[in-house]
Amino acid sequence: MMSSEDRPLLRVIVVDDEALARALLRELLGAYQDIEIIAECGNGFEAVKAVTEKKPDLLLLDIQMPKLDGFDVLELIGGEVPVIFVTAYDQYAIKAFQVHAVDYLLKPFGAERLAEALGRARTRIGTREVVPAKALVSEARAARAPLERILIRDRTDVHVIPAAKIDYLESQDDYVSVKVGEKQFLKEQTLSELEQLLDPARFVRIHRRYLLNVARLARIEQAVTDSRVAILQDGTELPISRSGYTKLREIL
Amino acid sequence: MHPILGSVRRLAIYLLAWMLIGLLLSVGLGFSRGGDWLTAVLFFVPLGVVYALITQSAWYVCRIFPLVRSRAWQVAVAQVFAAIFASALWVAAAGAWARVLAAAGVDAAGGTLYDTQRPLLFVVGALLFWLVSVFFYLLIAFDASKDAERANVELTLLAREAELKALRAQIDPHFIFNSLHSISALTATNPEAARRMCLLLADFLRETLRLGGNQQIPLEEELALADRYLAIEQVRLGERLNIVRETDSGAVTCLVPPLLLQPLVENAVKHGIAQLVEGGTIRMTATCAGSTLTITLENPCDPDRQRPRGVGLGLEVLRRRLTNQYGAADSVYAQERDGQFRVEVRIPVAAGASA
Repeated sequence: MMSSEDRPLLRVIVVDDEALARALLRELLGAYQDIEIIAECGNGFEAVKAVTEKKPDLLLLDIQMPKLDGFDVLELIGGEVPVIFVTAYDQYAIKAFQVHAVDYLLKPFGAERLAEALGRARTRIGTREVVPAKALVSEARAARAPLERILIRDRTDVHVIPAAKIDYLESQDDYVSVKVGEKQFLKEQTLSELEQLLDPARFVRIHRRYLLNVARLARIEQAVTDSRVAILQDGTELPISRSGYTKLREIL
Repeated sequence: MHPILGSVRRLAIYLLAWMLIGLLLSVGLGFSRGGDWLTAVLFFVPLGVVYALITQSAWYVCRIFPLVRSRAWQVAVAQVFAAIFASALWVAAAGAWARVLAAAGVDAAGGTLYDTQRPLLFVVGALLFWLVSVFFYLLIAFDASKDAERANVELTLLAREAELKALRAQIDPHFIFNSLHSISALTATNPEAARRMCLLLADFLRETLRLGGNQQIPLEEELALADRYLAIEQVRLGERLNIVRETDSGAVTCLVPPLLLQPLVENAVKHGIAQLVEGGTIRMTATCAGSTLTITLENPCDPDRQRPRGVGLGLEVLRRRLTNQYGAADSVYAQERDGQFRVEVRIPVAAGASA
């Protein structure tokens, strides 16, 4: 199509839950000799897996998908890959811009519009603009707080944890350990960020290191003078700081 | 329109009331003051009827000086003058009637009743006039509140009608955009399928507009529309969307409000199947038992899905539509349990509509 000898090969992953939409992108991208589709994904889980394993140069990402939508996928992969959003809905355009998407394609679109978006992607890749992953995550999330669920990427796997199933969250340096019954998951985010995103009526920062789901609290015990301990329904004991006790009393 | 002279029935009741007032006057002003009862009744009852007619003029005074829009002194002056005039007229009529009675030899004393009671008669006349005025003012106030109520009801009806029109015209634009995108994808790989999809979409849009214009349609037309919609969505969603339908032969001929099923089917796809990675099956049943048509729709759904705002709105609008049309407030049941969403709609079968 274009003189592409001097351009590096662009390795692309196409994500859309509709086979026909993927077929159309395959057809349109087929016209470019310098573009290779390295994976096609039918849902967000496959997308996260494929991105982790294949490290593409560009992601063409549908927004409306089951379980994990396009924004969820972007949150999980952080700023690793430039993204062009593809959707029939125009109401996400502003949010797409906020999360530094390269472009926003409205279905139905033709070859010209796609060429424009690909041009932008090449420019973005050329400048090696680095989007800090954490900024991306919180910006993408801020719009829909309070969080109803937490997404955790465990290398190629994705865990979707409903907020109601969380017992408590524990700060571990740059990570947060999310305790769900017997299991625990590590999420690369600070406890303070999660505290702001989760529903403050249900999750209380009882201690510098602990964010507690108040529904799990069985009772509060006095340990020594001026020091209290939260006993959870499963018997777990968590320390309560003085300010944590004040917050807890406000909620209860 | 005069509230009393405008209706024979009301006039009759009104005159009867005034005859009673005449009788009271006979007792109060005639009989109790030493007159004989026959003379008193003959004198006062016809006078009551005459004054009944004279006091009708109070209606016009009340209309010209309504309480809400006139100043108090205007009302007072008008009512005083009107009462003086009406009562004077009445007293004059009483004088004439007394002479007639005297000439006929009924009142042997020759109008003594009239002569002795004239000032009192005038006062009573004025008071009675004001009583009628108060009655008319009350009537006006009552009518005004009734009019306001009627206007209110009309307004509500208009609003609902507008809402219905909007509902009927409402075709999800994203559905169209997505369908066009699918057609665009098919044109290169499968032109035949692309053309089929174009026709399906055209049929669906045309039918939606046509059905929306009707008051009631047979259920089978509604089902045919749902079939087209689902056929289009099946092209888009592929194997993820399956449909099972069971309908009574009696049910399909029942008359239902147009686009009753459509929002339910759309919900089942949009918030149910399309939110599931593996997809699932939409089950539709329609049965007619006795005088009730029952339609159920069942679809799997993701219990942990993120619920966009406005979900349930479609159900709420449907509920209000059915309440409006059939008066039964409990015609739509919806429940979600263990990842299954189920909605049941019950509507009374129109007479003669079922097979």
